[in-house]
Amino acid sequence: MSTPKSTDLGGRALDFVMGIVEAPINGFERLMGRKRMPYLFLAPNLVLFGIFTFLPIAIAVGYAFTGGTGLFVSDRPFVGFDNFRQLLQCEDYLRPGSCRESLFWTAIWNTLWFVGFNVVATLLVALVTALILNRAIAARGFFRAMFFYPVLLSPVVIGLIWKWFLDRNGLLNAFLQMLGVPPEIFLLDVGWSRFFVVVVSVWFHMGFYTLILLAGLQAIPKDLYEAAAIDAASPRRTLFRITLPLLGPNLLVVLILLMIRSVQIFDEAWVLTNGGGPGTANSFIVQYIYQMAFGSDLRLFGLASAASVLMGLVLLALTLIQLRLGRKMES
Amino acid sequence: MGNLKLTSVTKSFGALTVLHDIDLTIDNGKFVVFVGPSGCGKSTLLRIIAGLEDISGGGIEIGGRDVVHLSPAERKIAMVFQSYALYPHMSVRKNLAFGLENLKFKRSEIDARIAEAARMLALEPYLDRKPRQLSGGQRQRVAIGRSIVRNPDIFLFDEPLSNLDAALRVQTRAEITRLHRQLKTTMIYVTHDQVEAMTMADEIVVLNGGRIEQVGTPLELFDKPRNLFVAGFLGSPRMNILKGKVVAVGETGVTVDVGYGVPLQARIDPAAVAAGQAVLLGIRPAHFAVGGEGLPFVVQYHESLGTETYVYGTFEGSEEQVIVHQAGHFAPERGALLRIMPQPGRMHVFDPDSGLALPRAIEERSAAHEHA
Ligand SMILES: Nc1ncnc2c1ncn2[C@@H]1O[C@H](COP(=O)(O)OP(=O)(O)O)[C@@H](O)[C@H]1O
Ligand SMILES: [Mg+2]
Repeated sequence: MSTPKSTDLGGRALDFVMGIVEAPINGFERLMGRKRMPYLFLAPNLVLFGIFTFLPIAIAVGYAFTGGTGLFVSDRPFVGFDNFRQLLQCEDYLRPGSCRESLFWTAIWNTLWFVGFNVVATLLVALVTALILNRAIAARGFFRAMFFYPVLLSPVVIGLIWKWFLDRNGLLNAFLQMLGVPPEIFLLDVGWSRFFVVVVSVWFHMGFYTLILLAGLQAIPKDLYEAAAIDAASPRRTLFRITLPLLGPNLLVVLILLMIRSVQIFDEAWVLTNGGGPGTANSFIVQYIYQMAFGSDLRLFGLASAASVLMGLVLLALTLIQLRLGRKMES
Repeated sequence: MGNLKLTSVTKSFGALTVLHDIDLTIDNGKFVVFVGPSGCGKSTLLRIIAGLEDISGGGIEIGGRDVVHLSPAERKIAMVFQSYALYPHMSVRKNLAFGLENLKFKRSEIDARIAEAARMLALEPYLDRKPRQLSGGQRQRVAIGRSIVRNPDIFLFDEPLSNLDAALRVQTRAEITRLHRQLKTTMIYVTHDQVEAMTMADEIVVLNGGRIEQVGTPLELFDKPRNLFVAGFLGSPRMNILKGKVVAVGETGVTVDVGYGVPLQARIDPAAVAAGQAVLLGIRPAHFAVGGEGLPFVVQYHESLGTETYVYGTFEGSEEQVIVHQAGHFAPERGALLRIMPQPGRMHVFDPDSGLALPRAIEERSAAHEHA
């Protein structure tokens, strides 16, 4: 197997590297057989993935069945389903106060409400933005970059920026005062603070979903729209009968990602609301897990792990249902 | 009413003008083919008629109605796209129904029209399939069906056969022609394939570089091309072009010398040329008589198609390839010297500067007049 020699510098460098690895690769190939070679190339990635993803999952599942406050498995007594029982013990699930772990259930209900509003709002905003950007508007590249830009920021920075903006002496109040509206302490009001957690989340993530939807929109052949124009389809019918159905697979991807990531809401909300305030109005599941494990010296790793496992199972179920629905839609 | 009138239609994309002053009238019920090389503006012209593209100048009338500011839907046209542009997520039935539903037709009327179109195009077994479950030819028929149900004044086709294999192309060509006879609706058909143009058209519009080169029936264009471009574009294999010089001007024609010591008689209007003038002679491969007196032709190779033979070679001492057609079996040796003579009435004479055909002798011209 002799490859033609390159003359440019990059090509020569590549030839050099290939020359070095060729012999061992050929050796491995003889040893393992050609069919198994792909696994050799996948191995480095699999090792990293194993150490930093699969292993922690396994550890978390294991910890969920242990108790105490010790960090190492050897210091932790096996308690069976105790942690799960503690989390799920409730007189009335609709009243978190009646539950043994009332904070857990408050967090669940807060998270559910957040997920509902956030998924709908982000999806709508991203879809409308993508539809607008998909038209031949001026400076499309600029707008695309602008909407995507927040995605690149750190959640903590996002939380801080918006906190300044919404503070008692923040920009928004200064602006309202100019209009003669009395100032409002947004982040200390239950309704307003929840509203703005959704606003910030939409603002933060919409660019990412807009990009996915825009890619889907641009993959729809132009001549379908021309055929629809000849077929006398109104803009409304074109949207609902052509664009949205053909965007279906992308919408499904967005819906799944959005749902999973909404359930995982934590960092930016934590910073924005000073740890879930006012009171527990904005404490979400991941925050609960974080607080049980690492917050205020509780070190309840078992309880936190059990909550993580429950959340993981729910997310898995949601994803499977959506994939099943998606497949049904396609056929 | 499906007659179409274009007046001075111009189209530019930015600084690039792709259609220059197109004037064209198409009578009701005609099958008209726009033909020309790739990039000459055929699709653009068709899309302008459809209303998918704005014009930069000029006017468009359909059935006497100014349609320049009307949407595609309001123009009562239907279009079959090169890619078919079927809605991939809808069944064949829904593809056919979509336009009628948009126009708020009654369900019973929609069903009746779909049934009729499906019967005409033999699509009944496929009505509940999705486009991706169909073969190329079936998709093509669905695309045609989608236009038929609309009952348009004009059908527009943009290279509808280019995605089909050769056998299917010939078959579909015949089907579209049959459909035209049946429906008697104006059809405008774009292709770069001159065989499609010749076999399907009532009238051919030859386009080149955004301009109309010539309009006429297939035989008119074949027999009396207005210029070198049309002469070269229509007919397969292409017309042979020889350089020559007028040596004598007679009563009913002129004598042209193309070298090789064999003067040729061309029947063109003597008043149009002067002795000594350089001309180009166009002779189709089929219009040579082989044997006897004639130009010295050296055989390079031949292609036998069974019932006919094309012989490729050069004139003695020349480099330029010449193609000669012979009916039946004919297998000359490589390097053999044949004498070939152009049939006098079948020679085309062009002005080398303008590329225009020189006027034919009087009697031929009046005959051509009656034709038009
Ligand atoms: N939307 C467009 N923008 C810019 N140039 C175009 C556009 N559509 C077509 N053209 C140009 O116009 C010319 C004619 O194109 P077209 O009508 O598609 O040719 P044809 O169908 O004869 O092959 C080509 O040079 C093409 O590049
Ligand atoms: Mg084209």
